Amino acid sequence: MVELYFFQPLGSNSGRVFLALLEKGVAFTERELNGRAFEHLRPEYLAVNSRGQVPTLIHDGRIFTEGTAICEYIDDAFEGPPLRPRDPRERWSMRRWCRFIDSDLGRSLMMIHWNRIVPAFVGSRTREEVERILCGVPDPDRRRAWRRAYLQETPPAELEESQRRVAAASQRIEAALAGSPWIVGTRYSLADIDLFNFYAFVAEWSPQIVNDRLTPHTLAWIGRMRERPAVRELRARTRVPPSPAAAST
Amino acid sequence: MLDLYHWEPNGASGRVLIALEEKGLAYSSCYVDVLAFEQYRPELLELSERGEVPLLVHDGAAYTEASYLCEFLDEAFPSRPLLPSDARGRWEVRVWQKAVDDGFAASVSELAWQAYGGARGVGALAPGALCAAVERIPVEEGRELWRAAAAGLGEEQLARARSRVQEAVKKIEAQLTSAQWLAGAAYSLADVAVFPYFKYLPELCPGLVSDAATPHAMSWMRAVAARPAVRSALARGRVVDPFTVAAPGPEQVRWG
Repeated sequence: MVELYFFQPLGSNSGRVFLALLEKGVAFTERELNGRAFEHLRPEYLAVNSRGQVPTLIHDGRIFTEGTAICEYIDDAFEGPPLRPRDPRERWSMRRWCRFIDSDLGRSLMMIHWNRIVPAFVGSRTREEVERILCGVPDPDRRRAWRRAYLQETPPAELEESQRRVAAASQRIEAALAGSPWIVGTRYSLADIDLFNFYAFVAEWSPQIVNDRLTPHTLAWIGRMRERPAVRELRARTRVPPSPAAAST
Repeated sequence: MLDLYHWEPNGASGRVLIALEEKGLAYSSCYVDVLAFEQYRPELLELSERGEVPLLVHDGAAYTEASYLCEFLDEAFPSRPLLPSDARGRWEVRVWQKAVDDGFAASVSELAWQAYGGARGVGALAPGALCAAVERIPVEEGRELWRAAAAGLGEEQLARARSRVQEAVKKIEAQLTSAQWLAGAAYSLADVAVFPYFKYLPELCPGLVSDAATPHAMSWMRAVAARPAVRSALARGRVVDPFTVAAPGPEQVRWG
């Protein structure tokens, strides 16, 4: 028995675990949380995930958190096509890519996008209501990030540094995909799953970074990803990240 | 053939040295004095363009980043395993490793740098000479890391580091109250990841980590320190107590 708690629209952490389950052919129960209603901060969910973060996987009654670690667990615990290379050197490379995508690229994108969408996300709530919600965010770093985005207090130098890192990461990704159809070696792996969920939407959001002149191999890789049956199913079963225009409404 | 480039056996270098010793692998130890910026020498930059240490060379290929380097060792050399045999146990190890990489390592390092780094670690250099040496580092990320460290850490940053360490210590003590080791039923890469940072804390944060405040974590720390492999690893440094020196880095996670 497998259950997955996640947010819509599907991307980043929720999306990579959702896609890993689909690639392995694992049947699971969807437990969608409404982020805009802050359902992830309600006591019944905090009992499952004390940090109030998504996703959480429940397998045979046991709780699993942390996206990267869940994805490796899914590959470890279930039958189905392997999502990690067999060769130890390639595995090391895959884990470094996953870390880079999650921590360096992912956090930079998160900083940029939270600063764009959080004011719309909290909607018409008053400052007092927002402060009360923020007090319920268990993780102090997450609370600080929320407050900075809400009050638009992120130092411009940090936002610029994030832009620089996203641009540098795009070059690194393009170079990797110029020599190989997948991020690590010659086979599809968790690194592709992570990159698709953290980064593919940049092609729509930031065409000045991802386009057919600067990053043709990255665009071709996104095309290959979208042809995969599991990715088609992911897109059919869920909403994909909104365009910038939709986010600003 | 394994060549390990490492600094003092604390922090990340400590993790990899302990893993190699625990697995009983023959390796050659190449000491890199990171406080003298030796990691930025041309021959090391050829192996890692950012001058990362610890760095392992195996069959001509370079490996960095302690979490994945240790997992590589365990997968490439299966005898004397340091990862649990069950999937749940391996997940637990990875969650501990991630907690170290996401903030525990950086927070302990910041507090240790504040306490030991500037004055004792690079004591041979006057402040002006340090700044000049930093500007000669040939890697941009390295210059930025050292500029910030040489300028001194702000009170807000140190307060955040202290509260992160406090949260981590709470989790470690809670886990060790009900279990002998951090992950699974046996000693593992989770213990190897946490120990070389935790070992700083009784001196660095005596109000937070002591026999009175964290009895289970303290006896765990002593049990790890008494392991023959750990004693061999800790003897690979040049200073008497590697937990009284510190270097800048790694970077804190930039957005929560």
